[in-house]
Amino acid sequence: MAPKKRRTPNTQNDNWVVISADSIINSTKHNSDPAFLRMRNPSTDEASLYVLGSGDLQLYEVKAFEEDFHSWFVGQTVQRDGRLIFVTPMDPLYLILPYLIKSGREGKFQPVDQVVKDEDFPACSRLLSCTRSLASLHHIAEEKEVGSQKFHRYSQDRTMDWLKKKVERTVVALKKKNVCVGEGVKSTTYVRVKSESDNQEDYLRYAHGLISDYISADLSKALLGHLGLSELKSPKETEPPSKKRKLSDKPVEAEEDYTKFNSADFARKPPKKMTAAQKTLAKVDKSGMKPMSSFFSPKAKAEKK
Amino acid sequence: MMDLNPFEADNSVSCRLASQIPEVCRTEDCCLGVDEAGRGPVLGPMVYGICFCPISKNQELKDLKVADSKTLTEAERENLFQKLDEAKSYVGWALDVLSPNVISTSMLQRTKYNLNALSHDTAIGLIQFALDSGVQVKEVFVDTVGPAEKYEQKLSHLFPGIEVTVRPKADSLFPVVSAASICAKVARDRAVERWKFTENLGEVDTDYGSGYPNDPKTKAWLLKYLDPVFGYPQFVRFSWSTAQTLMDSQGVSVHWDDDEEDGEKAAKRQNNRSMLSYFSAPAEGEKTHQTHRFFTDRRLKSLNSL
Repeated sequence: MAPKKRRTPNTQNDNWVVISADSIINSTKHNSDPAFLRMRNPSTDEASLYVLGSGDLQLYEVKAFEEDFHSWFVGQTVQRDGRLIFVTPMDPLYLILPYLIKSGREGKFQPVDQVVKDEDFPACSRLLSCTRSLASLHHIAEEKEVGSQKFHRYSQDRTMDWLKKKVERTVVALKKKNVCVGEGVKSTTYVRVKSESDNQEDYLRYAHGLISDYISADLSKALLGHLGLSELKSPKETEPPSKKRKLSDKPVEAEEDYTKFNSADFARKPPKKMTAAQKTLAKVDKSGMKPMSSFFSPKAKAEKK
Repeated sequence: MMDLNPFEADNSVSCRLASQIPEVCRTEDCCLGVDEAGRGPVLGPMVYGICFCPISKNQELKDLKVADSKTLTEAERENLFQKLDEAKSYVGWALDVLSPNVISTSMLQRTKYNLNALSHDTAIGLIQFALDSGVQVKEVFVDTVGPAEKYEQKLSHLFPGIEVTVRPKADSLFPVVSAASICAKVARDRAVERWKFTENLGEVDTDYGSGYPNDPKTKAWLLKYLDPVFGYPQFVRFSWSTAQTLMDSQGVSVHWDDDEEDGEKAAKRQNNRSMLSYFSAPAEGEKTHQTHRFFTDRRLKSLNSL
């Protein structure tokens, strides 16, 4: 028997298998190359990888398909990590939003280039160069123009309306792509026969959950209310109360008499006849099979004692 | 004569070769022998053979002095095969050449298909082939694979009306089995000798000895042709422990999702939760960000570095 193989973690490599939109390198006018950048993930508040296309015109998010036991054959080489990296367009407003919310607490109108600043992630100021950024700030903020300068202040109402539109558009996309959204459906390969078109709430909740991966937990909660959906109870609350033993004054008595199993009479009973199915099962070649019980006992520990 | 071209056209799959069915075998009661060649080697195909002739011609077959192929030199075997061919008016044969690739993939597939099962099924297939071709088979003699009694029962059950005899060393007891063993062995020798490597190996060193795992020449050859990533050419049976041990020690380690792994470690790696955790209330403050199931279902995650 071959020794058990030990898996070593994937080491850094210089090659990646990436699927990305052509637009990421399409622009010939701009001399800056597309770049992978670490920026603050609005949902986790931690670093995530994003891409700014050439000229910083478009923001892309980076997602990796990662599953155990995959590798690539690339040309004449083997790549150990079987990751497939997707670089897909993303609305830069999602990344700008947390900075506006933060400054919005002061209640003042401010020039946006002073707001979108982050010591930990200096690259975030480049988000404002994206084509859509400045033009779409009004979705999440009130605007004031003084002379040639623009000032912005975060608006929760506008943001909610904007996010609601995002959810609605996501619902349309989910329906178009036939994504299974029902709570009971956990497998993407499971295809429902019955049309789910009448179950608008399932779609709304699913789309809300999807959008929530791009906003903070607080915003996600607020958005749920804005969509007219109630919060789902956590499984802890929906669990039935634990059963309590009923107290009674009567003496405790066994409901069944098990002593009869100890009698000699019982022991001598011939074993029951097997059914046809049990017989065929018994005939199966079981050589090399582990007994079921072996799966439930700890492996090496027991031997140490 | 024996034409191995159909097998050589694609030696990654199995192939059936057969002689003409003698007319007399369709009308007279026949006996049929089953034997195999190349069960043990780590290299090359395993060949299953049947030979059949009318029971009345058994003595004539005996007079050809066919004997257990293992006791014969290669030249003697070729000579005897020649004689069998000359007796084609009453002797017929059929062969299944199981390519090493088929043996490897059978034994290493997810639902393991072991060599005994593969052998039994091949033998059964050949007997059925004779029946389908109109041979009046009344007696079958088989050199055993595994416990003879169990095998005999299995065959008798599958072929009611045929008297099945399974014996160890049947190839030295029954001439028709000896004849089958000669056919199988000749085919195996030729297949190995004329093996066409589909891999681009350049000039291949064909000095691989007997092909048996304990032959030093075979071992040296296996070491020489071990590719760290791909292992071996299809000529090698990957399922043999000799090949596996060398690949494990000299090659890049490859992990499959049905590899046996230490239970606890595997569970940890796969982020499995302990069964117990489902029965206790979740700890407070443990709630962290959960990626939406749209992404988790598709195994998609955000990255924070490349």
